[in-house]
Amino acid sequence: MLVGLLSRVELTDPELLAELAGVERPTVSTLVATWPRLEARTTPPRRIAVLAGSRRQRRRLEEVALRAGWLVSGGSADEMDLVALSRVVLSTQTAAVLLGADHSPGGDERRHLPDLAALTAAAKRLRPELTVILAGGAAAFESTFAGATDIGPAHVLAAAPESPLRSAVPEAVVQSSVVADPVEAAPPQPPAPPEGADPGAEATAWVADVPAPDDKVEGQSKASPEAPPAADVATPPVLAAGRDSAASTIDAERGVSPQILLAPDAGAGEPAGASLQQVLEGLRALPNDSRLGVARSIGSLAYVLDRVVEVVEIGLQGGLRARSEPIGGGHSAVVSSHACFANASFSPADPSEEVIDSVFAWSTTALDRHRLTDRLHDLRLVPWGDADGDGAVFRLAAAKAAFSRLVDATAELTAYPMPALTVAAGGIFASLPPSVVALAIADLGRRPGIGQLVCDQARMLGPLGAVEDEAERRRLLANLADDLLVPLGCLVLPAGVKSGRNAGQLRLQGIDTTSEIELHPGAIQVVDLPPGRTAKADFDFRDTVRLGTRGHHFSVEVGGGLCGLLVDLRDIPLRMSDRAESRRAALDAWQRGMWPGVDE
Amino acid sequence: MSVVERPSGPDIAAALSRVATRRILVFSPTIHFRLSPGDRALVAPGESVSTGTPIAERTPDAEVVDAGRLDIDAALGKNGRAAGAGRPTQDAGSSALWREGRLEPGELLPEKRSQMATKVGQWPSGAARQERRRPPEPGKWWVGGGERRGKSGRNRPTPRVGGTLLFEKQGRWRAAAGEHHQIVESPVAGIVREARNSVEVTIEAAGAAIPGAIAAGEPSRGYLDVPRLTDGELWASALDVGRAGAIVVAGSRISAQAISRARAMSIRGLIAGSVGQGELRDLEASQLRQKASLAPSVPFGLIALDGHQRRPIATPVLALLAALSGREVAIVTDPPLLIFDVSEVPLPDLSPDWIRVRSGIHAGREGRLLDTAGLYRFRSGVHLEAAVVRFVDETDTTILPFADLERFIF
Repeated sequence: MLVGLLSRVELTDPELLAELAGVERPTVSTLVATWPRLEARTTPPRRIAVLAGSRRQRRRLEEVALRAGWLVSGGSADEMDLVALSRVVLSTQTAAVLLGADHSPGGDERRHLPDLAALTAAAKRLRPELTVILAGGAAAFESTFAGATDIGPAHVLAAAPESPLRSAVPEAVVQSSVVADPVEAAPPQPPAPPEGADPGAEATAWVADVPAPDDKVEGQSKASPEAPPAADVATPPVLAAGRDSAASTIDAERGVSPQILLAPDAGAGEPAGASLQQVLEGLRALPNDSRLGVARSIGSLAYVLDRVVEVVEIGLQGGLRARSEPIGGGHSAVVSSHACFANASFSPADPSEEVIDSVFAWSTTALDRHRLTDRLHDLRLVPWGDADGDGAVFRLAAAKAAFSRLVDATAELTAYPMPALTVAAGGIFASLPPSVVALAIADLGRRPGIGQLVCDQARMLGPLGAVEDEAERRRLLANLADDLLVPLGCLVLPAGVKSGRNAGQLRLQGIDTTSEIELHPGAIQVVDLPPGRTAKADFDFRDTVRLGTRGHHFSVEVGGGLCGLLVDLRDIPLRMSDRAESRRAALDAWQRGMWPGVDE
Repeated sequence: MSVVERPSGPDIAAALSRVATRRILVFSPTIHFRLSPGDRALVAPGESVSTGTPIAERTPDAEVVDAGRLDIDAALGKNGRAAGAGRPTQDAGSSALWREGRLEPGELLPEKRSQMATKVGQWPSGAARQERRRPPEPGKWWVGGGERRGKSGRNRPTPRVGGTLLFEKQGRWRAAAGEHHQIVESPVAGIVREARNSVEVTIEAAGAAIPGAIAAGEPSRGYLDVPRLTDGELWASALDVGRAGAIVVAGSRISAQAISRARAMSIRGLIAGSVGQGELRDLEASQLRQKASLAPSVPFGLIALDGHQRRPIATPVLALLAALSGREVAIVTDPPLLIFDVSEVPLPDLSPDWIRVRSGIHAGREGRLLDTAGLYRFRSGVHLEAAVVRFVDETDTTILPFADLERFIF
């Protein structure tokens, strides 16, 4: 691909190639062979068996494992017999077993734990390649695994501060994803706050950037329990965006594969389960995982642009939703949170009935269930194929269905206001017309506010996230920011628009033109505003609406994009008929408005 | 559309490099037979197996059994008497293992029995006999009385149950065991690479294989029957009893009716271009019902070479299948493969620019790649990198997305 690309550059603009190469008369083959490479790859899906003493505990653990991007097979001793549980654990599809219990297990799960621990230890002896994670109270059964593995004592990962599981074993997992400005970062030692820094506001950045003696991962930070709160403002849930997995760090340190891990329970961390999620995500993902790379790039981008950035990435092996927000005085630090879901793939490997239903719900074409299932399976077999015509329409439905599953699974992120910048990433969005990508974001990210929509068309966020050095990544993103993301447009989404003939007026003042548009409730209206242009939009609503604040009149600066300015006056949340035909007709009408060439 | 002149060698090579490759043949493939708790491997790593060699014994009705104390010290007690003596039947525990470990020839069940359904006590190979002498550990084969399932009645005979040990807790072992067992025979010759009770048997098969996209059913073996297809299809009525024991090439798609009929006619397998998810679900449900009835059945497998939506079998693959017609072949499901062990098979002549459409409205059509068309606006206003293709028996060219094309390699 690189050869082809450079050959085209050579044909069209040899001087540009010479400039890129830094030498006179460069040859493409030499450049390809000598240029440094940055490699990022998607981690193949891996399955974890979740075992618990009770159904309640199993669900909590499953939820955490799902958020960490695992495919999950679960079972609890009060629901399944031991043969069925053994079948789950001994399946060669299963790469890891998570046996968990509450920090102080209740009677309902305590009585089953000895059996489950013995079963897991036996499975470990049968399948030495299995990684076992003992979470929460299940860690008390660590001795059951003596003899099941010969790699020495169990490793303790990311124990919660209050957890008794903390040990002297090196701790390599980030407790917080607060990433500070590396330029302002404290020197490696001794830790001292930057001079002149506001002790209150900058403390977060300073503490976050203090490398702990046992913190071996460059660029990662660890917030100690004594660290001051990140900020007084409401911040997103704090999760790790570490570039190396906990497991891989320990691998490097010990030269062995960590196979019995002690982890915090499913309630530890903020939000609940965050600590365990970190551990599981670290175990699952490759060090240069491109999906987590997108999350890291978004963190850097939020810093570079000094804006709240949210990304929705939908891929073949899963999906990601991440949010990064600059905080602190001078916005010198960024808090990030993310969740990966294997089930948020646009074509999951083994789609459940719920997945089929969700594709049905977003499909604008009438397909019988079997045919839709066949198409979804074939989409997995040839993910880049059938991308035009009705294939494109089906792909959009599959992408929206995945998007909706992702939104449903990340309610805590949906609770935040609309971000200033929403990024659509993933190959399925890259192959669709920009207008329908914008429509998909408007359909599913229904939060009142005004935000810019962009698309990672070149799919560079993942690879850039594989750049290890935070400062270097920020420099790269700062240089590429104008070209990296394709501007789709600006979305204006007011809440509280009442039905009727007229919702109000929009007056859009550009550099040389002014246009006045009547606003219609229940419609999504598009106003032409090319990329790179800005305009002043004055909204004069008939009723009081919520657009950040409540009011009738709003005056905002909006940026352009390939679709222009989108004023979405539909309900929040989107109300559609339960009847399939009516729902399909409504979706089709909105889609045709944004995708005039759909029937070509 | 206009006819485009075929470009010169390097140009077409560059264009072809952008077309996804599909390998028609793989050699010495590694195949897997997944086992469950209660199942045991009857072979050992490094062992050579031929077709029909028993490689595993399944316990389809495995349930949890209290196997009792299985270690010698605990079994005999410090004073030399059985630890379980004097305990209720449920807790009496030691003798089962050591009887099982020293199963006398006289205790063997009659040898003249179907290999598809055996009862506890048969030891098909010497390796398994050695296995019995190992100390108890997870996965070890165990045989004991049926009363250990906690289902014994007063006047009922207690059948023997067999299975694998699950785990030990406080000195007592639990096993996954059942009364009924089924022998799994190897559908291919090869070398056992891995064999773990309750987990899997992995075999490196001798010979070559045609990869498929989807497989269902069970590994099976039979002679390859390539009947004449009508418009790329085989009518279900053509699947008659005369094809019993065959693996039949069924054309572009397998219908539910064809599957039912083939199974009823003791046909060993079907090969087609595609199979719908509904048909796969029906087959799975049917096989589960059959397993639940514990009635032995002839293994039946099916392979779809391309996917779920209807499309004909690719002509190079069909030519290969025709060349193998009448030979013994095997369907394996993990991964989906059609394996054959023949010393020579004529490979179809393929022009290097021969391509096939694998998805989209032209799926299944074949032709030649002529040129690239750059970024092209396709239906629905989607812009994709495009190729210029001329289909077989057409004079006009067609512009298609590169992502919809595939080319074949051996």
